Amino acid sequence: MNDKVISFPILADYNTPIKFMIEKMTNYEVRLSPKMTKNTLEIGSKYSPDYACLPFKYTLGNYIETLENGANVIMQAGGGCRFGYYFELQKQILSDLGYNFEFYSLTESDVNGISSIYKTLKNLNPNIKRVRYLYYLLLTFLMIYYMDKLDMYIRKNVGFEINKGSFDRVKKSMLTKFSKTRGFLDLIKTYYYYRKKFKNIALDKPKNCLKVGIVGELYTSMEPHSSYFIERELANMNVEVTRYTNVTFLLITKRFKEKYYLRKIKKYCKFTMGADAMDNVARAKILIKKGYDGIIHIKPFGCVPEIGAMKVLENLCDDEKIPIMFLTFDTNTSELGIKTRLEAFHDMLLMRRGNEK
Amino acid sequence: MKNNAYLGVDIGSISTKGVIIDDSNNIIACEYIKTQGNPISAVKQLIKSLESKFDSNLYKIVSIGTTGSARKLAGKMLGATTIKNEITAHAIATISIHPDVRTIIEIGGQDSKIILVDKKIVTDYAMNTLCAAGTGAFLTNQAKRLDIDINDFGSIALMSKNPVKLAARCSVFAESDLVHKAQLGYKKEDIVSGLCKSIVNNYLNNVAKGKKILSPVVFQGGVSKNIGVVKAFEDELKTNVIVDDIGHLMGAYGIAIMSKKSVKDNDFSFRISDANFETKVYDCSGCANNCEVIRIYKDMKLMDSWGNKCENGLK
Amino acid sequence: MNNKITIGIPRALLYYKYNVLWQSFFKELGIDTLISPETNYEILENGKKNTMSEACLSMKIYVGHVDYLKDKVDYILVPRIVSLEKGMKLCTNFSALYDILNNTFDINILNYNIDVDKGITEELAFIKMGQELGFGKILSLNAYKAAKKEEYKQNKINYLLQEKRLNRNKTKVLLVCHTYNSNDNLVGKLVTDNLKEFGVDVIYADIINPDGDRLLYKNISKALYWTYNQELLNSIEEYKDKVDGIIFLSTFPCGPDSLVNEMCSHKIDKKMITILIDELSTIEGLQTRLESFIDILRKDRFYE
Repeated sequence: MNDKVISFPILADYNTPIKFMIEKMTNYEVRLSPKMTKNTLEIGSKYSPDYACLPFKYTLGNYIETLENGANVIMQAGGGCRFGYYFELQKQILSDLGYNFEFYSLTESDVNGISSIYKTLKNLNPNIKRVRYLYYLLLTFLMIYYMDKLDMYIRKNVGFEINKGSFDRVKKSMLTKFSKTRGFLDLIKTYYYYRKKFKNIALDKPKNCLKVGIVGELYTSMEPHSSYFIERELANMNVEVTRYTNVTFLLITKRFKEKYYLRKIKKYCKFTMGADAMDNVARAKILIKKGYDGIIHIKPFGCVPEIGAMKVLENLCDDEKIPIMFLTFDTNTSELGIKTRLEAFHDMLLMRRGNEK
Repeated sequence: MKNNAYLGVDIGSISTKGVIIDDSNNIIACEYIKTQGNPISAVKQLIKSLESKFDSNLYKIVSIGTTGSARKLAGKMLGATTIKNEITAHAIATISIHPDVRTIIEIGGQDSKIILVDKKIVTDYAMNTLCAAGTGAFLTNQAKRLDIDINDFGSIALMSKNPVKLAARCSVFAESDLVHKAQLGYKKEDIVSGLCKSIVNNYLNNVAKGKKILSPVVFQGGVSKNIGVVKAFEDELKTNVIVDDIGHLMGAYGIAIMSKKSVKDNDFSFRISDANFETKVYDCSGCANNCEVIRIYKDMKLMDSWGNKCENGLK
Repeated sequence: MNNKITIGIPRALLYYKYNVLWQSFFKELGIDTLISPETNYEILENGKKNTMSEACLSMKIYVGHVDYLKDKVDYILVPRIVSLEKGMKLCTNFSALYDILNNTFDINILNYNIDVDKGITEELAFIKMGQELGFGKILSLNAYKAAKKEEYKQNKINYLLQEKRLNRNKTKVLLVCHTYNSNDNLVGKLVTDNLKEFGVDVIYADIINPDGDRLLYKNISKALYWTYNQELLNSIEEYKDKVDGIIFLSTFPCGPDSLVNEMCSHKIDKKMITILIDELSTIEGLQTRLESFIDILRKDRFYE
């Protein structure tokens, strides 16, 4: 085999930190998967089992496109629920299609994430030192943490920017800067510089704007293509959006929040319900307590843990008298149908507001 | 001085509806035609027919609203001042006719929905998520299979004393079920009645699941014209179900009312029916996103386009 | 709590896996149990009414059984099982079962909770459940141990009976299907009854040799972490050369099966068919598919 070209599936803007990490830890080229298009899902579905969950199809599509684009090493993150099993089947499907490549699941070899990633990377770069590994791992974590933090601010305000596209432009330049990070000090400086830039973007935001919380399955929540850009649609309707699911949560905060979340929703849940189901119920409760006007729950078709959560969410929102809308995404979900539902949901929230005054 | 009038157009996958109302929401002209897969010609035909029913010496149209799945296209053609989704339009229309309504059941060509209302405010709504089963398109299909005129469907259903148990989720699934039952020799009216029941069950189990259905209940949409389904709803809900004569026009009526808020003082001409409209769908090649861009041309001139997701795409 | 109570056991999901264990445990403690009847259409209908439309058929059936029991007993047994072995998992439905049911009905639930990854074994879970019922630690432990012996005996008998079937000279089909589906009146039985009518012997992948090699599954899938699917794959490896064909039977839209069965179709070279049952499947449609599959298998036998 010639030189290795490493690639990984797309997840929103996390391309930047992931590429950064792999580049710093191995000496190979990292080539991003081609941008997600309609075609990605089409090819992905073509070779996926019919009722596999949607993220399986999207990521399989990513793999095929990136392999066609010259990559020969694929890394993926693994994870809970069905995610952890994706890679073995996807590898099988891709090999049967005739692709010749190496496939690594970062969390495959060990229960402990940090040492598992180390072992995986060791395969690609036997010379990597533990110290160098930990240094760049932490740096990447911090980068992700900063990104997520700023994203929370963006989601709340992007619907109210006076010059359309301001947030997008600043974010783009921030990601470029992040990808060239030289060390911790540099990263921290960049963060504060861009935080200021974001805060300086001119807004026209009424104090009592509509607020909507998004909860649901992690991939659908994080990868905008898989939810037909639901957050952008809401922003265009001048809605403040909060969504707690992000990589920081999945990697770090989830385990610390479990007890706190369970206490918040004692009345509804005694246990965790698989994947992020219980977390989503607790978040809905937190958002309602913060005065959010409505909750939107999103998931791919057939998502087992989230279907369980729906039953509980229904009770919660019924008790709190806050509307919740459930959206399911599948390969044949119509974009217009989603838009119509969103618009109607928005109208309803406005009407309810009118009633309170 | 002419009186103000307001035009509402609801253009769905199966049918296209138009309503013109006056200042006190009275209907002064209305029309209902089939879309037949061609929204442009449907809108033209609708407008032509509305013109003939409309007294332009007495009234002038000061605002136009469009709704339904082709609301954007129709809106551009007509120069609409309000373009809104059909769910809100239905709610507004129903509330204006039945101020005390609590539950609106709507089963249309491809969608079914439930809207809950309290004190004239929409408090909750839901729409079918899985597929088109139990909608108008589904019923029309089944009627065809049984060789029954869709207009007789309801009255045939009422003749049945022993409705057959049928499943109704996906048309594909239910069809095979239906075929088996028909071959086993069940009476036609029992099968038809069974279908009506299955539509109601499907609706209550999927669309209206977890929603408290309080009366007064208003039933709308194309399927509400089917008395078999109305009866099945009444049996299942154990309450009276109101079906308006203009139930099929509700979307258009509602959007006409909503358009009143966006009155523009220019007289609408019905001449649109002579203009030549054309739509073209492009796969934009501006970036790898390959957005599907829809462009609409009026008399060969580009009027508008939509569907593009980024700034470097086709216009 | 005293022992004059009746505990309701829904005849669905984990019942088929643990009924001997449960019943012996409660019998040892002198507690009455009431088991819901075989699944019928009324139970299914009530299950459908009380679950989200997208939930899998097996879940709908389960909820229907709980609905049947809810006014007839003092407590309904609803376990929660996250993991049965270190690093292994069950479908998340089994993690959520307790909370879903609690949010569906106003019922008293008797629960035990197994999460081996967090150090809570089956034994500990049963002792805790015994204590909740008012019995001492020792008494509960002894009841559990006795029940465990019964369970082992029953599993061994089932396995030996299956061995017998394997040695008969008839067309044999391996049914790869979760225990709770293969034994259900409206799921697995629809298939097995039909197969028996065609004169086919059914070998059940969910009947497991309690003393058998448990690592055979690795030939098909190394990364698999769902215990129940792992057991099925083990059986495939054990039986595949002794049967004529394989039927994969799932309820729509089973999460783990959607991936694992696809993996099998890539890895196993054997005549096979996948059948997906949902709430609308018809017996007539099923018969046609099964009959044609059996015809294909028999032709193979003729020409050999």
